Amino acid sequence: MAINRRQFLIGAGGLAAAASTIGLSACAPGAPSGSGGGASGGGTNLALAWWGNPTRNKNTEAEIQAFQQANPNITLAGQPGDFAGYWDKLATQTAGGQAPDIIQMDMAYIAEYGNRGALLDLEKDGADTSKFIEGTVDSGRINGQLVGVNAGINSAVIVANPKIFEKAKMDLPDDKTWTWDQLSDVAAEVASKAGVPFGLVYLFGGDPMFGAYLRQNGKELFTEKDVGFEPADAQAWFDLMMKFQKAGGIGTPQQISEEGSPGGGKGIDQSAIVLGKAALQYQNSNQLEALNAASGESLKLLRAPSLAGKATERKAWYKASMLWSASAKTKNPEAAVAWINWFANTKEAVDIDKAERGIPPNAELQEYIRPKLSPAQQEVAKFIVDIKPELASTPIAPPPGGGKLAEIMFRYESDVLFGKASTAEAAQKFVDEVKSNLQV
Amino acid sequence: MSAISELSTVHRVKAKTPEEKRLRAKEAARDNKAGYLFLLPWLIGLVLIVAGPLIASLYLSFTNYNLLQAPQWIGLENYARMLDDPRLLQSLKVTFIYVIVGVPLQLIVALAIAMLLNEGMKGLAFYRSVFYLPSMLGASVAIALIWRQMFESDGLVNQVLRLFGIPATTSWIADPKYALWTIILLHIWTFGSPMVIFLAGLRQIPGMYYEAASVDGASHWAQFRKITLPLLSPIIFFNLVLQIINAFQAFTQAFVVSNGTGGPSDSTLFYTLYLYQRGFGQFQMGYAAAMAWLLVVIIAAFTAINFFFSKYWVFYGD
Repeated sequence: MAINRRQFLIGAGGLAAAASTIGLSACAPGAPSGSGGGASGGGTNLALAWWGNPTRNKNTEAEIQAFQQANPNITLAGQPGDFAGYWDKLATQTAGGQAPDIIQMDMAYIAEYGNRGALLDLEKDGADTSKFIEGTVDSGRINGQLVGVNAGINSAVIVANPKIFEKAKMDLPDDKTWTWDQLSDVAAEVASKAGVPFGLVYLFGGDPMFGAYLRQNGKELFTEKDVGFEPADAQAWFDLMMKFQKAGGIGTPQQISEEGSPGGGKGIDQSAIVLGKAALQYQNSNQLEALNAASGESLKLLRAPSLAGKATERKAWYKASMLWSASAKTKNPEAAVAWINWFANTKEAVDIDKAERGIPPNAELQEYIRPKLSPAQQEVAKFIVDIKPELASTPIAPPPGGGKLAEIMFRYESDVLFGKASTAEAAQKFVDEVKSNLQV
Repeated sequence: MSAISELSTVHRVKAKTPEEKRLRAKEAARDNKAGYLFLLPWLIGLVLIVAGPLIASLYLSFTNYNLLQAPQWIGLENYARMLDDPRLLQSLKVTFIYVIVGVPLQLIVALAIAMLLNEGMKGLAFYRSVFYLPSMLGASVAIALIWRQMFESDGLVNQVLRLFGIPATTSWIADPKYALWTIILLHIWTFGSPMVIFLAGLRQIPGMYYEAASVDGASHWAQFRKITLPLLSPIIFFNLVLQIINAFQAFTQAFVVSNGTGGPSDSTLFYTLYLYQRGFGQFQMGYAAAMAWLLVVIIAAFTAINFFFSKYWVFYGD
């Protein structure tokens, strides 16, 4: 059969379309490092990337100005972003040799980058963490190298809206004695009495709460190179979720699915507690200020529950809300570390940031800033001090490939909620998938 | 500039002497040179933008490449691993449903609207533009965002249903039973470009066929089946092939509607979205490259099947 012009055109079109698919995944490795670092007129230009919210963006811009005044030889170009898109962008930039010089890093991804030589050993270039309180430095250490400096202390909490409890004619629960089962009861009761869709939201979508539950059961999310729990543990967690759901405390499967997982796309200014749709919401403590600003409410911090009904046995930990890292390919490591030291150890920096990125890990600055904090941030600072007796060991960073645990967990939870899998099946698949990601 | 005038010179007279032949050959060589010169921009684009990444991607598909370190050769391991990947299977299922349901429905709507517009109504240019608009917007992030809000539990769709007394609270995008169908609906809505092509095809069918058929007493349905469909079949075939190729690569809608997760419960995990998750989310670019090549094979197979069956139903009239 001879090919006429029409057929040729279709074939050519098809080839072109097919070719564009391949282009999608083709990224040439080893492109030369480009962004920042280049000296211009005796000074240094560095790119600085962070994710955040409107408050943090404003703060960071002001911090960049203050830093540049103190270090006239260094100019910083800010690259703000939101959490969901930040990691895809960072991966792409890093692969192309265009990583920002200074990178706001998360515990979920620090091993991913640190283990693969993408991050600078900050101690070698003079990072100063000598005044940091105990348990706040080592979370940034990968293979013995300090690749991230804690930018603020955090703790996983449950945020409560007192107005909704008032409406339900209920007292705020006693978070020093409550158990997971009591949390379920409270959530169900407040949802039905106050007539809100969610008594409690986000609890099962975030890995810190799963981590807390595991630790109380003598397990961890991760060990050095592997998953730190068995399918049976995951099944217990999924069973707990179904118990909450059947009691009526966490909404219908559709509502849970629509609300998504924390950090899964909806900004916290659109989260359920801000919109008055939830009485309780899992969150990190440093987000209280932003939540209050978005909702106009005075929300309260509550501890995560314990199995034993004793807060001192809940195996809490200080989490680095975020860390400062620097690209291993930066042309000016000293300048990058200068920013990190400035941020971690100067009054000018903490005057601007206050506790938005978490409570400063530097002990002196912690004392210095406390009276200057807003009422909400003072509450957070008090909370962080109050829970000291409840702390257990600091969990290690997820190994490379482990950063997606929460996303995978939420997907299998959706399977269970919509009746597509039993809790046992989902738990087995969940563990298998997390493990298979670690092996690659 | 001389090259252009040279090109426009047409030589019809046959060369007779060897001298003339040599001269003619020289001119032909110069013409060729000019031709290649004009071809150059496209050729450079092809080599740099298409062929280079193509070869790089093929190479990467045989490697373990985590974006941060140099790729390591692992042979066929990526391809072997695909055989044992339940999410890959799920993404194929989602994409096949999308293609097999979405493309024919979209073409039917496109043809129906094209026939309506072909009736020669007033303000045709205006309506044609209005109907074409969605296909320019459909793949955009903005529309996908609006789509998500429309189909939320308190979205526009449910609000309209409530106006009619239906107590609709279903979140169409948050339930694995419905989520994919909202995206298929979005695909159907973007019928503009096949519609315009259909419209051009309909214009080429001589009116006398219909006149003759009416005289013979053929109904509208018979006219459609016996005249429009056969004479339009090459155009239908063209649209079918192109739309299938496009639909297999759908990405933006699923990415935005599901916040990049392919959720709920992987019900909108399109193939390209999963490829993206593997490559950029999980740092498995080698595996992602292998997936891209599997997609090439699938699209090529679909296109080949299309061409094979075309001889049974496409009527070229020549």
